[in-house]
Amino acid sequence: MSAISPDESAIDLASLGFSCTQLFDEVPCWISIQDRDHNVIKASRKLIADFGEHRLTKCYSLYKGRTEPCEECVVARTFEDGKDHTSQQMLFDKRGLPHDVLVTTRPLRSDCGEIVAVMKALADISSEKELAGRLRDSLLRFHNLFDHAPCFITVQDQKLRILEANERFKVSFGESFGRHCYEMYKRRPDPCPVCPVAETFADGKVHTSEEILVDNQGREVHVLVYTAPMREITGEITSVMEMATDVTEIRTLQNKLADLGQLVGGITHNAKNILEGLRGGVYVVNLGFRDNKQEDIRTGWDMVQRNVGRLSAVILDMLYCARERSPRRLPLSPPKLIQEVAALFASRAAEFRIKLELQADEPLEILGEPKDIHSLISNLITNAIDACNADQDEQKTHRVTVRAYHDKDDTVIEVEDDGVGMDSATRNALFKGMVSTKGNSGTGLGLLMSQKVATEHGGSIKVASELGKGSVFTVRLPVRQPDTTST
Amino acid sequence: MATSTKKILVVDDEDDVRIYLSRLFQEHGFLVSCAGNGEEALRAVEKERPDLITLDLSMPETSGAGFYRNIRSRPDLSSIPVVLVTGVTGPGGSRDTEHFFSTRSQVPPPNGFIAKPIDREEMIALARKLTGTAVAGRAAN
Repeated sequence: MSAISPDESAIDLASLGFSCTQLFDEVPCWISIQDRDHNVIKASRKLIADFGEHRLTKCYSLYKGRTEPCEECVVARTFEDGKDHTSQQMLFDKRGLPHDVLVTTRPLRSDCGEIVAVMKALADISSEKELAGRLRDSLLRFHNLFDHAPCFITVQDQKLRILEANERFKVSFGESFGRHCYEMYKRRPDPCPVCPVAETFADGKVHTSEEILVDNQGREVHVLVYTAPMREITGEITSVMEMATDVTEIRTLQNKLADLGQLVGGITHNAKNILEGLRGGVYVVNLGFRDNKQEDIRTGWDMVQRNVGRLSAVILDMLYCARERSPRRLPLSPPKLIQEVAALFASRAAEFRIKLELQADEPLEILGEPKDIHSLISNLITNAIDACNADQDEQKTHRVTVRAYHDKDDTVIEVEDDGVGMDSATRNALFKGMVSTKGNSGTGLGLLMSQKVATEHGGSIKVASELGKGSVFTVRLPVRQPDTTST
Repeated sequence: MATSTKKILVVDDEDDVRIYLSRLFQEHGFLVSCAGNGEEALRAVEKERPDLITLDLSMPETSGAGFYRNIRSRPDLSSIPVVLVTGVTGPGGSRDTEHFFSTRSQVPPPNGFIAKPIDREEMIALARKLTGTAVAGRAAN
């Protein structure tokens, strides 16, 4: 072993009476020296204190209580290749307590370069390991929270690029690292005009907004957005966290509730008139009984019957609208249907001198609930006739045309009239269920019902109209019906 | 003692309400004519000069309100008493309409309000009062 040369610093340890051996002994670490046969030749005092007497002991016995060498022995490797090695080991001190240690080995060469022994330093890394473990757990917990929080979370830099995104976000909006938030959330090519993230960068405060996002299926998602600054230790805001909670369902329910409120208002209005009609009828009938006047009895009774009919219609409409059920899927022929329904209106149309025409492609088939499609066509024809009647122009011979034809994947049923037409406000309010522009005829619910029928059959109703010219109601029904699930 | 039968014009878009009110007023000695919208009502007022008009404000579009504003603005017609029949569905019912009129100074308020469903006795009392008749539609002296 080469002698330790005195170092050049101010203190000369040798002159202070410290020999190398003493220094070795006093090292406040676990250090040992082993020979090729795993014998522990020398050990620091600390090692002896903690692991026990080392002389004539094999290292694997001293440290691990083993009776034979360890499979992976770093000391052996150092003997072989003459290099330093490290490894993590679990050792047991003389009380049997375990220690996680980092083992570092160094070859000790004789003057002629032969490796005669290996120095082994053991560093207790138990606490480091524990910290590492806790850190791992922490990270895992953080990731769980981040990924599985029931909202979309992204972290953006000043340029609005996404640095981090949680699992929820990735599933709904896609992989996004480095892409801009406005691209991913809104499919925009440029930043949003009002950006809560930018505001937070500017003033370091939490900002909120309500936004409509577009997911990777093209669906609209209504969200409430919160943005919060993420600061470095210096206090500088280097990124901003954006949290978005999906409130689409709530908004949908709110809209439905508002529509329902309006619908109820409309029904109440109608119901009052029906009530008045019934009361009036009863009054007049009673006059007739009192004075024995047949005319009054007849008039009054007609009033009662009429209004009972109206009431039935309103109630049936209400029940229809309130009902959630899946209709049957029977094969139907639209040309036949429009013929049947038109026949019912033939005399009424003739009475008002309205020409009722039919045009149909043959053959044409849809799957649906016969009663419902019947009601739908009936409703549209009624409206068309009423629209013609409402037109004050006495000279004009009005025309109502009912068509059934094929258009790409849809079967189309269309009712066109050249009556009064509607302005855009009326058009927009039409399907909300409270507009009845025909006074006491109709329940005001008819179109709402028709729309329900159309959507239940996987289709839609659209209207085009011009005030003074007329209207066209177009019902599209897919030839292929969707699966019958409750709507 | 002059006796003259008073004339009432019933303006309502509901057929059955017109029939009902007609029979009601006839039963109590009034002559009745009807109109189903603002335009018809105006023609009837000009032709017949009724002693009272009952008017339903909830007719479609603004035909009822338009008719009312019209006759109130014409000096030859503005003195004819008008009873507003309301089927208004606001929470205050006809009180809302009364409030509406009391807060709008451009349009003079009607001479009476009655809400649907109509209380017959109240309606007849109002009609008698506004046409200055006692019992059975004869003029009070």
